[in-house]
Amino acid sequence: MELTKNITLGVYLPGESAVHRLDPRTKIISVTLLIVLLLLARSYLAFGLVALFLAGMVYIAKIPPGYALRGLKPMLPVLILMWVFQLFLYQAPGTATLFQWWVFEATEAGLHMGNLIIMRVLFLFSVTTLLTLTTSVVSLTDGLENLLKPLRFIGIPYHELVMTLVIALRFVLILAEELEKIMKAQMARGVAFDRGNFIQKTKKVFPVFLPLFIGAFKRAEELIVAMDARSYTGGKGRTKMKTLRMGRVDFAAAVIMLVFTGIMIYIFTAFKAFI
Amino acid sequence: MPIDVINLSHSYKTGTPFEHKVLFDVNLHISDGEFVGLIGPTRSGKTTLAQYLNALYIPRQGRVLIDNENTADKKADLVSIRHRVGYVFQNPEYQLFAPTVGEDIAFGPINQNLPQEEIDRLVKGSMEMVGLDFNTFCHRDIFALSGGQKRRAAIAGVLACRPKVLVLDDITSGLDPRGREEIMKVVKDLHLSQNITILFISNSMDEVALLARRLLVMDNGKIIMDGPTREVFARTEKLRSIGLELPEISIIIDSLQSAGFNLPRGILTVDEAISEIAAALHLREGHQ
Repeated sequence: MELTKNITLGVYLPGESAVHRLDPRTKIISVTLLIVLLLLARSYLAFGLVALFLAGMVYIAKIPPGYALRGLKPMLPVLILMWVFQLFLYQAPGTATLFQWWVFEATEAGLHMGNLIIMRVLFLFSVTTLLTLTTSVVSLTDGLENLLKPLRFIGIPYHELVMTLVIALRFVLILAEELEKIMKAQMARGVAFDRGNFIQKTKKVFPVFLPLFIGAFKRAEELIVAMDARSYTGGKGRTKMKTLRMGRVDFAAAVIMLVFTGIMIYIFTAFKAFI
Repeated sequence: MPIDVINLSHSYKTGTPFEHKVLFDVNLHISDGEFVGLIGPTRSGKTTLAQYLNALYIPRQGRVLIDNENTADKKADLVSIRHRVGYVFQNPEYQLFAPTVGEDIAFGPINQNLPQEEIDRLVKGSMEMVGLDFNTFCHRDIFALSGGQKRRAAIAGVLACRPKVLVLDDITSGLDPRGREEIMKVVKDLHLSQNITILFISNSMDEVALLARRLLVMDNGKIIMDGPTREVFARTEKLRSIGLELPEISIIIDSLQSAGFNLPRGILTVDEAISEIAAALHLREGHQ
């Protein structure tokens, strides 16, 4: 049993590619832009283009394609459920009925909606994973902090906000490791997590999640003490070892993003229907 | 219940850029009633190997036979194998989840679907085996226990499954000297009175020297030494070269030997050391 194998979100894959060398701010802005485009996209053509774009980035960043897709595996059951819900529950006037089962009716519009929503979730996840795979935690923090700096004018503690976010991201993997360990300890006492009906399976969650939560609180407490011991006082008066600087790669990335956004906006306005 | 490990290899994170091999072609046979120690530097593959023995990992390369039953066999009853081979994890108190000691220890037997009287009997019996008084501790809040007591409760939770083989993964780490001593005594009693086969993984050479009759040494995913504890600890240079220390007694004997005392190799207990040193001193005085 190995849980951490399929977790790619929050993992950093060190490298020397152009994508790795980009200024974190460039990457964060690009990712935000891509997220907005994904939320607006309503056609197969648009999603196809995003897929091509992402594939290109994976290629340039020299991430093994199989590894890039691996993180999606644990999400599959949820996605399939979402797809089924859309297929049967999304109703639009004037669309053809595909087939009927009991009181449920699968419509053509539902089918498209299901497909689009799945693609949207998959790509949203892939975009963010691509960011964390190519950006170390330190530069991600620096970039985010730098971008959120203007928030200080309305009294938002931007440094603390970013710190919280980054710690949460790091804890994904740590908690997964802990979860694996506790699951194994309970399996050693005879729990078969894959046996039994729904209620029996749900009951098996307690022996795992109780220790996990207790451990998480303990860890948080230790982290607080460790930060305190090193005189961490938040963002005030903090200086940086590395200052961020934009370079030629960032200029190239900006041009590429602008062109891509232009194409996408054209598609949004030119094609209204599902194609 | 014999255990056989045949040509076992293991890689972590296969299929990812972080893939690394941790076990290389490991072969191991453990017979009934043995007390085997397993030592090795950190990341040498001790825990990974041990987790194969109660089917927490299923072999992809090589085979693991528990009581002649192949764990990779589709028909193998893994739950039953895990009950027969108990596994106490490092820091086992992390597995405690029930409100009271008794309820947590009953978790394993409940998973075996045993009748209530049998469960009660097992809880009581395993609490006594680890030296927790049933009447005092059965209804006590888990979080009201001390570190050493929590660990004993966790061990009792595994014992309640009635294992014939017990894998103990560094169970004394992080305890104070008294806690260590108590746990060591429990382990020794289990082996002697219950005749449980034990695989004892430890980072403390002293503990292994006191308990194990056979000793395995792992380094970089391979078993590099396998033999009677005395013989293994006699190979001082080899052990030091992979970053392991010797038991304290062996260190003393070693320095006495290099200071010119004629002492036999492979002394492991304080009593042996006393009589051998006394004999050597006596011999010396006789010469003068």
